[in-house]
Amino acid sequence: MLLYAIRRFGLALLILIVAVTVMFLMIRAVPGDPVQIMLGPRATPELQARLTAELALDQPVWKQLLIFYGNLMQGDLGVDVFSGRSVTAIVFDQLPHTLALIFASITWSALLGIGLGAYAAAHPNTLIDRITAAISVSFVAAPAFVVALLSLLIFAVHLQWFPAIGAGEGFWGRLDHLVLPAFAIGLSWVGYIARLVRASMLEVMGESHIRTARAFGISERRVVMVYALRIAILPVVTVIGVGMGFLLSSAVFAEIVFARPGLGKLVIDSITTRNYPIVMGSVLISTGLFVASTALADLINAWLDPRARTAD
Amino acid sequence: MKIEWTKTALGRRGFLKGATALGAAAVLPAGLGSRALAAEGGTLRVRSYGDMQSIDPAFSKGVIDEEIHAAIYNKLIQYKPGREWDWQMDAAAMIEQGDETHIKFALRDDIGFTNGFGAMTAEDVKFSFERIVDEATDSPNKPDMGPLSHVDVTGEREGTIVLKEPFAPLWSIALPYITGNIVSKKAWEAAGGKATTDPLAESGPYLRASWSPKEKTVLKRNPDWKGDAPAWDTIEILPIDDENTAEIAFEAGELDFTRVSLGSVQRYRDGVPGGGTLLEYPSLYYTWLGMNLDHPKLQNPKLRQAIQHAIDVPSVLEAAYFGAAEPSTGIIAPGLAGHRPQSLVPPQADFAKAADLLADSGETNVTLKLDTLNKTTFTTAAQVIQATLAQIGITVEVNVLESGAFWASADNEDLQLVLNRYSMTPDPYYATSWFTTEQVGHWNWEQFRNPEFDKIHAEAAQLTDVAKRDEMYRRAQDLMEESGAYRFLTHEATPVVHSAGVVPALRPDGLALLRYFGKA
Repeated sequence: MLLYAIRRFGLALLILIVAVTVMFLMIRAVPGDPVQIMLGPRATPELQARLTAELALDQPVWKQLLIFYGNLMQGDLGVDVFSGRSVTAIVFDQLPHTLALIFASITWSALLGIGLGAYAAAHPNTLIDRITAAISVSFVAAPAFVVALLSLLIFAVHLQWFPAIGAGEGFWGRLDHLVLPAFAIGLSWVGYIARLVRASMLEVMGESHIRTARAFGISERRVVMVYALRIAILPVVTVIGVGMGFLLSSAVFAEIVFARPGLGKLVIDSITTRNYPIVMGSVLISTGLFVASTALADLINAWLDPRARTAD
Repeated sequence: MKIEWTKTALGRRGFLKGATALGAAAVLPAGLGSRALAAEGGTLRVRSYGDMQSIDPAFSKGVIDEEIHAAIYNKLIQYKPGREWDWQMDAAAMIEQGDETHIKFALRDDIGFTNGFGAMTAEDVKFSFERIVDEATDSPNKPDMGPLSHVDVTGEREGTIVLKEPFAPLWSIALPYITGNIVSKKAWEAAGGKATTDPLAESGPYLRASWSPKEKTVLKRNPDWKGDAPAWDTIEILPIDDENTAEIAFEAGELDFTRVSLGSVQRYRDGVPGGGTLLEYPSLYYTWLGMNLDHPKLQNPKLRQAIQHAIDVPSVLEAAYFGAAEPSTGIIAPGLAGHRPQSLVPPQADFAKAADLLADSGETNVTLKLDTLNKTTFTTAAQVIQATLAQIGITVEVNVLESGAFWASADNEDLQLVLNRYSMTPDPYYATSWFTTEQVGHWNWEQFRNPEFDKIHAEAAQLTDVAKRDEMYRRAQDLMEESGAYRFLTHEATPVVHSAGVVPALRPDGLALLRYFGKA
């Protein structure tokens, strides 16, 4: 297991380096002078030249890349040229908001999705199963931004059950502000997880150990909940790990629509203003999160199912 | 640091049991009550379209920062809320133009800085203004101070602003806007000369109580403020860049004041929820179609005139601005010296005249590229222009660009037609500054070169005679239009809504002057 973990995290590190390097090259390939955008039209040529040198933008791209990694090795993500604040501070200011949103989204969608999928698998080809299937597919098909806007209009404006914007203050305030955005970006995951669990459980239910359990007279409820579901949720763990990347991208629009602070919005704002230090800092952290969560999901899978350790 | 690894008590089987239990507990009851909507009496919640960048006026990025600066600092003079551009006294007890290059002032004696930095003195004014123009400061806002030479301190609270040459925008930009904010010399020197995002010392009717990046800026009453008491105990400024989100927040009762989208104006004209009010202000932005005079395809003046006459401005505004914006007559907005009552080319298209001009030009099979930003308003406007130019046989290919690529167009030799929008501060000098010969290759994308225009720009800024300035700037816009390089479209509009309990204080372009906001 230890060897597997070392191999898996080694691969994760390699993926991170490649992803960050590609992003570094891509952002520099985009047309537009970042200094001009940062300083606006009124900056003097001297000031523009000074900032260009400060950001090393007058250097060849390969050299800029080396400088970036050199600084990174010293834990320096640079300084936001607009505010003069440390990029690390800015990114870590925003990160908890995004993590909270992702965690809330995946938690409620996993709980509901697993429940729906398990129930449907326990009652295959019944009316309940068909209704569950219809609901699941509808959830998967519902575009998250439409869900976000509709939920805002219904639950914030009309019913006024939940706040429309911001991240709130204090524990309950923050929880309150999470409900609608987490609902919006988690809804499609409910359907997806439900379908996944149902398919997985039906497969498991046909296996010999389930038949043996039934033959021993164990109640159907116990067979489903204990023997089948615990195997069937294995793919969900992987899906949740990989889903971190998708949730990060979903968080972007949720943060815009709900005017929430967060990493996604920070990245978008930074790209449009060519704020290189913030872009690279945000990308590094978000890519790191994605890669780490995928690796963690693989490790959990390998831990739960020892066959996975030797699969690759 | 030594890290102790301990083995968790949770085994694989235990985890599986737990996960199974979680899966079984799928549906949780949710008891949802109704959300109380009552606004907090002493708190005003307003939307800003972006987040604060700098607390230092020398490095302010514009109106977003200035909304906060104007509340926590003082200036000698501030903009006066209303429909006409005007100023009123703030930290100045007296201010007068001695001669064209000397402005005498005396400070009020009841303004102090927080954090123990003492009373506001003329030394603070001198420090604040001179550091803006000091090369060592590298302030991007330096041009706003124009030809400031220095400030003579003649008493503890008295001094004279000395200019190198006359500068009319001193009264409309330099003093009442970003660069006019007076900071504490002692505080700034103690901090090494620069502030980033935390205030070093404040003096206004409000103090910045907190700032949560991308989330909220909170202003609280300054308990030591001796001037007219502000109406609100607390002002919360929420950065929301999307207007539709802001509208939803307003309708949900979470905002008291916000700019709204032009597309929603008609809806709000029919009624604002919660007894609120819609106010429509013109904006200082100016939007136009530019033609690159240096491009081989646009050398023929008759062709350029044909394009001017073939663009139907009302149709563009109806489609792109939902009919909520008026046609513009140039780059200088209504209410400012130099605003022209009408343009040389009427806003309505004259297709017959345009066709005649095209025929006179001798150009056939004209195909042009129109660059525009990837914003719905601009792409819609570009499509209408494309359609109207097609009526006289000119084919337009719309080239939609992301903001970074678009704003790098200054040195794009292939630029042909461009749909553009610049913002400005309330002085005509600011508008004309981008179209001088000196700006070719920078912000003068049409490559418009006109010695008379350059002369007007240089001389009108030095005049204090408003009538003369008015005449000169009108002539400058005539010259732009006569070149055939410009088809002026609109100054857009600033529609805002406010809740029933709020009396907004706005500049004539609809921007908020928070310190003056009142209660109904």
